[in-house]
Amino acid sequence: MSLPEVHLVAGTVGEALRLAPVALAMREQGRLAAVPVATGADPDAVGQVLTAFGITPRITLPSGDGHTETMRRFDDLWAVRTPAAVIVRDGLAPALAAFWRRVPLLTVDAGRRSGDFGSASVLESQRRLLAQVTTVHLAATPLAAMNLLDERVIAGDTLLTGGTAQDAAQLFATRTLAAPSRGRRTIVLGMPAERADAIGPALRYLGGHYPDLEVVRAADFAPGLELATLLAQAYLVVTDDEDLVEEALAACCPVLMIGFAARHAEALHAGSARLVEPDPAAISSEAADLLEHRVRRDAMALGGNPYGDGLAAYRVAQATAALLGHGQFPDPMPAQPTAGVAR
Amino acid sequence: MDVADFWTKSWTSDDRVAVRQMLAPDAEIEWNLDAPVDDEELVQVLHRIAVFADTVTVVGQSRADDGAALVYDLEAPFGTARMVEFLTIADGRITEVRQVYDVTATDQFFPGLYAN
Repeated sequence: MSLPEVHLVAGTVGEALRLAPVALAMREQGRLAAVPVATGADPDAVGQVLTAFGITPRITLPSGDGHTETMRRFDDLWAVRTPAAVIVRDGLAPALAAFWRRVPLLTVDAGRRSGDFGSASVLESQRRLLAQVTTVHLAATPLAAMNLLDERVIAGDTLLTGGTAQDAAQLFATRTLAAPSRGRRTIVLGMPAERADAIGPALRYLGGHYPDLEVVRAADFAPGLELATLLAQAYLVVTDDEDLVEEALAACCPVLMIGFAARHAEALHAGSARLVEPDPAAISSEAADLLEHRVRRDAMALGGNPYGDGLAAYRVAQATAALLGHGQFPDPMPAQPTAGVAR
Repeated sequence: MDVADFWTKSWTSDDRVAVRQMLAPDAEIEWNLDAPVDDEELVQVLHRIAVFADTVTVVGQSRADDGAALVYDLEAPFGTARMVEFLTIADGRITEVRQVYDVTATDQFFPGLYAN
């Protein structure tokens, strides 16, 4: 008997990185047939990330101009090949297409919000709509789950699984640890080119004091294994990219975050990330402090990753199977111990 | 003008008679607002949106053989809420309406839109 087919829809490299461990977990559990779907503006890049995990996208469906055209393409696909369930991260168009066809929808990393309640920003609006059509919400953190409850999502439809970026980092670990060392202390800039051009020179100026310092841009490295290796070897990441924050923390690399306190309150609380002003002088001052005092940098790294425990993909796979009548829903991710607090 | 276009034009212009006529007698109505729904409640809510909103814009639409999906921006004086509507059409009448509102924005910018 063939297994129920679950389509995992990845529209960006970040989504592919987070859904690949789920596909592998489904394969290992043997209760569902995971079908990775590469979509978005650059499905080849998505496929490249999936390939790094040994997964070949079974379906490639480039997105159209706007949500509705993309929705129509997914509707056409699912009219002839209807999955038992669909898993997305931020993909509103496939989510709406699944809802239209009454296909159960699961959302990983559900409940991420900017903290600006009622914000009308495009991304926030999309995420709120996505929550409204989702069948099971798989949240990475308790705060994300609380955000969903604030939007009247039923508590029983929400499961705290953790984020799968940690799982991805662990799957890469054998290869990233075996990679040749860069031999220098590397600061990774994860930000658009114009901002990197403003901040990069200030950090490179620190090279006068620290000859072993190198400053690189994350965008110059191929997504997938190459970027994961860079993050695993990096001394520090400076970024305004919320996905890169999680990926860096999953690789045990501390982060200086520019801007968005509310989006990564958990990392700030854990101590593994710090908030900095978007000012080259302020950023280079913070970086110099961490370069000068290695113990401070290592103390940040020991704060850990509050977004996952490395078992999220198994929980997501198990929850999907349970939704489709195979077994029971998993226990939620246990609370993580707080550094320095006896339990 | 097809059925979906006529439906949109009717309710956004607050033509309640046309809206009622387009709904099949046994039409299934479904929404994610925190209130029970039937065809009359739907007509009332669409009427309130049409009256209260500064503009209602169809920002996207997708057609299928038996229906359409429409994405609306409901622009109120203090902000915009998005709504997605899925229609099923048979014999020139609408047999199913499924609406998905951004409930947070709807409650904020369209207070009192529905009885809960």
